[in-house]
Amino acid sequence: MSNTSVSNAPTQKLGRSVRPDFTILGILPFLALIGYFFFYPIAVVFNRSIRDSHSHLSLTTYKALFSGDYRAAFIGSFELAAYSMAISAVIGAAICVALVKTHGNTKRVISAVAGVLTSTGGIPLAFSFIAAFGQEGLVTKALLKIFHWDIYAGAFDIYNFWGILLVYCFFQAPLMVIIFTPAVENLKVEWQEANETLGGTRLQYFRNVTIPVLFPAFLSSCLLLFASGFSAYATAAAMSNGTIPLVPLVIGNLVDGNVIAGEANQGDALAMGMIFVSIIVFALYAVVLRIARKK
Amino acid sequence: MKRGLRLGDRIILIAAGFFFITPFLAAGEYSLRGYGGKGHTWANYTWIFKQLGFGPALFTSLRIAALSVALLLVLMIPTVVYVQLGGRRWARLVEILCLLPIVIPVVSLAIGAQVAMPKALQSTSYELCFFYVIVAMPYVYRALDIGLQSIPLQTLVEASQSLGASWFTTLRRVILPAIASAMTGALFITIALTLGEYTLASLLHFRTFPTWVTNVSQENILGAVALSVATLVGAWLILLILAFIPKFKRNRKGVLAHG
Repeated sequence: MSNTSVSNAPTQKLGRSVRPDFTILGILPFLALIGYFFFYPIAVVFNRSIRDSHSHLSLTTYKALFSGDYRAAFIGSFELAAYSMAISAVIGAAICVALVKTHGNTKRVISAVAGVLTSTGGIPLAFSFIAAFGQEGLVTKALLKIFHWDIYAGAFDIYNFWGILLVYCFFQAPLMVIIFTPAVENLKVEWQEANETLGGTRLQYFRNVTIPVLFPAFLSSCLLLFASGFSAYATAAAMSNGTIPLVPLVIGNLVDGNVIAGEANQGDALAMGMIFVSIIVFALYAVVLRIARKK
Repeated sequence: MKRGLRLGDRIILIAAGFFFITPFLAAGEYSLRGYGGKGHTWANYTWIFKQLGFGPALFTSLRIAALSVALLLVLMIPTVVYVQLGGRRWARLVEILCLLPIVIPVVSLAIGAQVAMPKALQSTSYELCFFYVIVAMPYVYRALDIGLQSIPLQTLVEASQSLGASWFTTLRRVILPAIASAMTGALFITIALTLGEYTLASLLHFRTFPTWVTNVSQENILGAVALSVATLVGAWLILLILAFIPKFKRNRKGVLAHG
């Protein structure tokens, strides 16, 4: 075998084609861990999702995704992700634009607070909002007393879709601040000065410089927000007890044993459906980034 | 030359501050309400400590967080250093693999973990450490990668080894101090993620602090709100302190500052 003869040869004669066999050793622990605890479970989910209750190959679980409750769950998750993305992106971007003009401690404190708000989401955030915006909450009462605005007059309830949307915006907007700030910081003050020297108005600057320069970053940030809103589980689970039609909640219910006979693998198909949607969103993200870099 | 804040920017920042602080103040007020809405009292906070399982749940979460951080740093620091030094050809692969845990929803990973992991592992809460390592990996990789790229790694390693240092000594006394702030960043993210993680803990049926909170909250919503406010304030204090540490560290010591 040529392989043995090469590996016995002095080091400097090692062919390029043989080297990968050794250099991969350095990342082997990493590969082993991510392989066993990430790819293997996902592969098992995939394998289960394409089988019926008798372990025969079948796509019935996938067909079920397009009708009834499962379809409603996907639509619900999609709407929640889209609405929270739109609202948070606008609020977050506005904060970014103001934030980059601040200096020193103000900036550091706001960035730290944004980081903290995004990373400490979940359960405590959900209960805080139930307290603040619930029927008896201080915010609800204050809005009624000061502005005579009864937030419970319409469709809103802290325990329904709109309540969850409100909470999502509270951790998505700070997330937008974190991921969009670097792009806004790249806007050069010189461009603004050039615009003024040439007699351009603020509106012209905004339309002809800010928007074209920031648009790719804005779009890619939006996609990240969408993905985060689409797959979030904790907040929705704590606030609704799993009753609102959202894919992660439906999966949670199936995992917790509320399984109708013959639907044992339905959770796996739902999980694959979520993975599929996420992969599409991130593929778009990659495309947008590539276009942005070429510019 | 930076420009000063315009009135419009001030209004945005103040409105945003108000928008983000109000719900938490309102939750704070709610948590101090007496039973049946009468008066204000600390009773809801003292209630927390009387609940069964408070200590064990918190201890479990802290233990899992510590182990996850240790495992993650032991795994990722050598891997990222290696990729930047000798294993350049694997850099792209590692980067892509480290990105995937963000792409795949945690719920999907949880359902996979439940069916794929051996029973022996599922019977202990240490199982969570491995999955928290996966969940935190993208952020930790990014922090370490940026940290290592900002130092002349190759030069530092060659200098250290020409002075006769072993690989372990080089890692411990040259590389680690140089990337201290990146490591703090990685720590910060991992601790925040693991202490607050709910999805995996709940779907794999482990009693960590977040799952314990949702459990006790079903009996007493006032207590649950008090608990949430206390958790958020505690977490924010820890994270804010950690956020300011890198600055002090860099001022005090740091290999690069000396030349």
